[in-house]
Amino acid sequence: MSSWLRASLPQALILVLLGAGLGLAANQISPRGLPLITPPKQAYKAEAFIALDQAKQLWHRSAALFLDAREPADYAAGHIGNALNLPAQSFAQHFGKIAPMLTLESPLILYCDGPDCELSHRLRESLRQLGYTNTHLLFNGWTAWRQAGLPTSPGGQQ
Amino acid sequence: MKGTPPLHHNCLNWILRLLVGGAFVFAGALKIADPAKFAVDVSNYRLVPHELINLVAILVPWIEVTAGSFVLAGIWLRAAALVITSLTVMFFAVIVSALARGLNIECGCFGTVGGKHVGLVNLAIDATLFSLAALLARRSKDCPAKEIFREAGAQNSAPPR
Repeated sequence: MSSWLRASLPQALILVLLGAGLGLAANQISPRGLPLITPPKQAYKAEAFIALDQAKQLWHRSAALFLDAREPADYAAGHIGNALNLPAQSFAQHFGKIAPMLTLESPLILYCDGPDCELSHRLRESLRQLGYTNTHLLFNGWTAWRQAGLPTSPGGQQ
Repeated sequence: MKGTPPLHHNCLNWILRLLVGGAFVFAGALKIADPAKFAVDVSNYRLVPHELINLVAILVPWIEVTAGSFVLAGIWLRAAALVITSLTVMFFAVIVSALARGLNIECGCFGTVGGKHVGLVNLAIDATLFSLAALLARRSKDCPAKEIFREAGAQNSAPPR
């Protein structure tokens, strides 16, 4: 090991520790501070999901906002009628446009497509971190909705 | 490196410090401003165990800002550049891993600089910062804090011409 590296390593370690200490201290006093240990993921039990019939009723009464967690291209190809696109993969980038339409208590129906799709789960987690807890997952959302002949928007009209 | 003049106290040294230190202070500050968003970005890479996501989101930006500030100030310059070099290596590996797995996610690097989604531009920026930081670490002459203050004092006390 060269001499400059040997001399710099302890200082580098001190800098890392200093940065870490500042981070912990700032997190402690910041109103936007996070819990040090990430809260465990909620197990997606049956109550996290909403039945298609129930979702249909909420849709007809305009009693819930439907959020499509897929990528914009998939959303553009067809989506549940009146649903808004909030891609789970780029949540932060799109959330600002949706946020003014929500309150923390707003009933939200989240969906993606396919029985194994995780996007709606991830969207739910992102929303939960921000305090939006009245969220429901529509299992196999887009396919189930379309196959039931329920109202859709561009590209998916049947 | 024999025969290579040190970068200390020359124009190139200042430019390198401004670029590298400035980039890391900027990047760190963006993340510090919105730790929850950065935690989501970290989570999207699916590399860190779930329990540790927040801790990473809390610590990494402050390490970036600390190292970047020391590079800007020219204090413990080689050590600070070494920290930044290590961070860029880590970021490079993380981005390559995301690309290899076909993840279409936000980089979480410099806000929207370099594109909305992680990609080759982010790799290029990271590789550039790595090269510049490595150059600083290898060729800079370390300048202890007391020497900097002594120089500053000498300049301030110099009689006006």
